Amino acid sequence: MKYKLMIVDDSMIIRNHITRLMSDPRLPEFEIVGLASDGERALALAQERRPDCVTMDLTMPNMDGEACIEALAKILPETRILVVSALSDKATALRALTKGAHGFLHKPFTDDAIVNSLLELME
Amino acid sequence: MNFRALTPEDIEVFSEAISNFFNLMTRQPAQVKTAYVFQEPAPIIWNDFNGVIQVSGGFRGSIAFSAPRGLLSEILIVMGESGKSDAHFLDIVGEIANQLSGRARKHFGEALDISPPISCERDGFPLKATADGPAYAIPLTWGPYEANLVVHLDLVKKS
Repeated sequence: MKYKLMIVDDSMIIRNHITRLMSDPRLPEFEIVGLASDGERALALAQERRPDCVTMDLTMPNMDGEACIEALAKILPETRILVVSALSDKATALRALTKGAHGFLHKPFTDDAIVNSLLELME
Repeated sequence: MNFRALTPEDIEVFSEAISNFFNLMTRQPAQVKTAYVFQEPAPIIWNDFNGVIQVSGGFRGSIAFSAPRGLLSEILIVMGESGKSDAHFLDIVGEIANQLSGRARKHFGEALDISPPISCERDGFPLKATADGPAYAIPLTWGPYEANLVVHLDLVKKS
């Protein structure tokens, strides 16, 4: 059984980049079940697809990542959330973790960094 | 409210963010040149595509990354992206502006509240003076390409 992954980022390029990494041989147990460009769409999609894990940007229009993490943690508490954000201050990372995220990866990221972060997220 | 302009140390943070981005993303270092005060919206600054981040919180102003199509095309290739439409270029120039601004939070902290990027082509650049202090252009070359990061920020003075 594969881990269902949802990718949330307002950048199409980043969503595509993470999607392509699913062909990495180290990630055979992951499959994409949803892509969302803001927090509102992510929440709606998550309720429908019930992902096991999510990569979550923070700076997004409509509903930002922090608000989305907080809401996701309430409706799908088993879902593991990896924040993938350019915001590199410690306070932001700590707040995201407090609100329900399980990991934090700074942009820009390497392919190895995101593969390893996803593997650690689901360990 | 009282505001103060950026210091050379503040500007250095953005130069380091540029270096970090190109080193990590492309493994080909960018040559980051000395920042200078940018007096007027000279056409040489505003390139094919521009990504603008509005800044609020303990700051006011904007951070803009401006780059030619060729540079962005190379970045897309490095990221494995095969699409080469204007939508791809607008997306990546905004994402780079976002990443360079986000990196600056390591120095300025969460008081540097940044917006999602607004991207546009050369002719649509929505230049507005949103800060009282000077705007700084940080030129860079990467391979044969030239680009600029334009930082126009005031910091709120703490009383």
